Amino acid sequence: MRAIVKVKDVSKVYKKDSGVPIYALRNVSVAIGDGEFVAIMGPSGSGKSTLMNVLGCLDRPSEGEVLIDGQKVNLLDDEALARVRNQKIGFVFQSFNLLPRTSAIENVELPLIYSERDKISGLAKAALENVGLGDRLNHQPGELSGGQQQRVAIARALVNDPEIILADEPTGNLDSRASYEILALFQQLNRQGRTVVIVTHEPDIAEYATRIIKIADGAIESDAANLNVRRAEDVLKKIANTVEVKS
Amino acid sequence: MKTGRILKSAFKGLGKNKLRTFFMMIGIVIGITAVTIVISAGLGAQNKIMERVKKFGLESLMIFAGGGREMGQPTSGGPITTLKIEDAEALKREIGNIAGVAPFNRKGDGVVKHQEKSITTRIFGVTPAWAPVWDWYAAQGEFITDEDEARMARVCVIGPTVQQELFGGANPIGEQIRIGNVIFEIKGIMQPRGISPGGGDMDNRVYTPLSTFMRRVANVDYIFGIKVLLKDARKIDETVVTIKSILRERHKLAAGEPDDFRITTPTEVTQFAEKVVGTFNIFLVLVAGISLIAGGFVIANIMLISVSERRGEIGLRKALGARNRDIRFQFLLETLVVTITGGIIGILLGFIGSTILGAVTQLPVSISWEGVMLGILFSSLVGFIAGLQPAKRAAALQPIEALRS
Repeated sequence: MRAIVKVKDVSKVYKKDSGVPIYALRNVSVAIGDGEFVAIMGPSGSGKSTLMNVLGCLDRPSEGEVLIDGQKVNLLDDEALARVRNQKIGFVFQSFNLLPRTSAIENVELPLIYSERDKISGLAKAALENVGLGDRLNHQPGELSGGQQQRVAIARALVNDPEIILADEPTGNLDSRASYEILALFQQLNRQGRTVVIVTHEPDIAEYATRIIKIADGAIESDAANLNVRRAEDVLKKIANTVEVKS
Repeated sequence: MKTGRILKSAFKGLGKNKLRTFFMMIGIVIGITAVTIVISAGLGAQNKIMERVKKFGLESLMIFAGGGREMGQPTSGGPITTLKIEDAEALKREIGNIAGVAPFNRKGDGVVKHQEKSITTRIFGVTPAWAPVWDWYAAQGEFITDEDEARMARVCVIGPTVQQELFGGANPIGEQIRIGNVIFEIKGIMQPRGISPGGGDMDNRVYTPLSTFMRRVANVDYIFGIKVLLKDARKIDETVVTIKSILRERHKLAAGEPDDFRITTPTEVTQFAEKVVGTFNIFLVLVAGISLIAGGFVIANIMLISVSERRGEIGLRKALGARNRDIRFQFLLETLVVTITGGIIGILLGFIGSTILGAVTQLPVSISWEGVMLGILFSSLVGFIAGLQPAKRAAALQPIEALRS
């Protein structure tokens, strides 16, 4: 299997004022292959967000190597990193991070204006249709539910056809039903061949991934295939049935 | 495409916080309004001066009796008696570049009467050459002729103001008027000419033959000045030198003695007027400049606040692939949108202001493209300078730092 992202012996050190170095990551090595659905799990302060930032080229490691799609990125300058983020990585954030008072389609178009693909028309519309929001193109974030806003954010992550989707606590701000909808969407994208990495502290969410990496104290505690992958669609059906019985 | 989109979002940003936008713009608006008014007023004044200079004639010069004084200063002492009709004739004869000479004398506040009506006017003694040299002819009747001059005839040509004051709408030709104790017959009415370079009414005049004027009105043997019409205006400087040497020789002035005459050229008139307007403009442009600089500081300050408030957006854009220069460009463009919009508002207010100013003060006001261009240029410049530092700071934010907030 082709490795989309590979980190080798990566450490991230922060120097406190006292001069005592704090390790956010310590000698972490991991490879994520094409088409995987990986959950990175750990309590807050474990270093999972730092790992995600390093994977997403938002931050440089203090030591070690990061390869994205075979390209060594830890030594690239700001401009080259911006290009990698733009073309290879699709970010999804806990608080959606949509531009307020800006329509869904304009939010989705945002990565396009920083790429050469901005002249191809219809990409943003297709991405929104792909996440089931073909009828909400001109709605502003304030007019959409949390689940819908996160789907706009996912469409934005998809619009430049990246190698990998990096989602940081994507269900953290959602109710359970919307959370399952988002998980179902990630699973659907993964079935279509998309590589997905979600960072979460909830074990329940991790159960929907095919591989679970647990992090504690800046190091990998365990890394194993999830033998019992749950299907978010099933849960949604169950919720729908319960609601019907109740009503 | 990209620029268009960033521009669109910049305009959207302006609308989001109207009060802030107002504070950002106000300094620029005031500054550019002031600049526009200054330019309009200055240009109006300049146009008016040029118009007057054209009336005087660009290919002519004026020789006045008496030397050494600057334009605009009053003559001191008694009349200078050294300039004679013969001087004019000599110049015409000896200088090839002279097309015509119009020697004249005049009386500043002559009272002219017709029956019970009277008017205080300027009385001129002129030769027939006056008309072609000034390119100024009788509109009705005829101008002074050689025969009038030779006969020392008691005839005159009056300006439209004199006609209006003494005769109303009636035809004055053939009528008689009295200048002092001498009766003159009106033989013509001059074409209207309006205000002179000096500001006087050029239509409030009475023209008599120069010989008649010298003998019967003023009783002198000298003249006040000579207007000289040149064949080639480009050789004006050489001609002035020649005129000087001829007159000095004729007046027997020794080397080192000052001229007893003064030569005024159109350039001299323009330069004098421009000096006055220029001093006024420098002062006002200074005021406008201070206002623009103050406005620029306010803008820079508010943009810095805006950058720190929008860290999240900056981080997001960077995460999505914006390069440092994309962010820099965005914030610079947003500042420019504010200042240029402010500039355009200022230009419009300036035009309204100058129009009102012109109407209230009766000063000439001229609205021009130069003013618009300068307004846009100034506001862009202020926007660029004020926006540079905030834009740099925005661009330098690290994506994770920015996203964390």
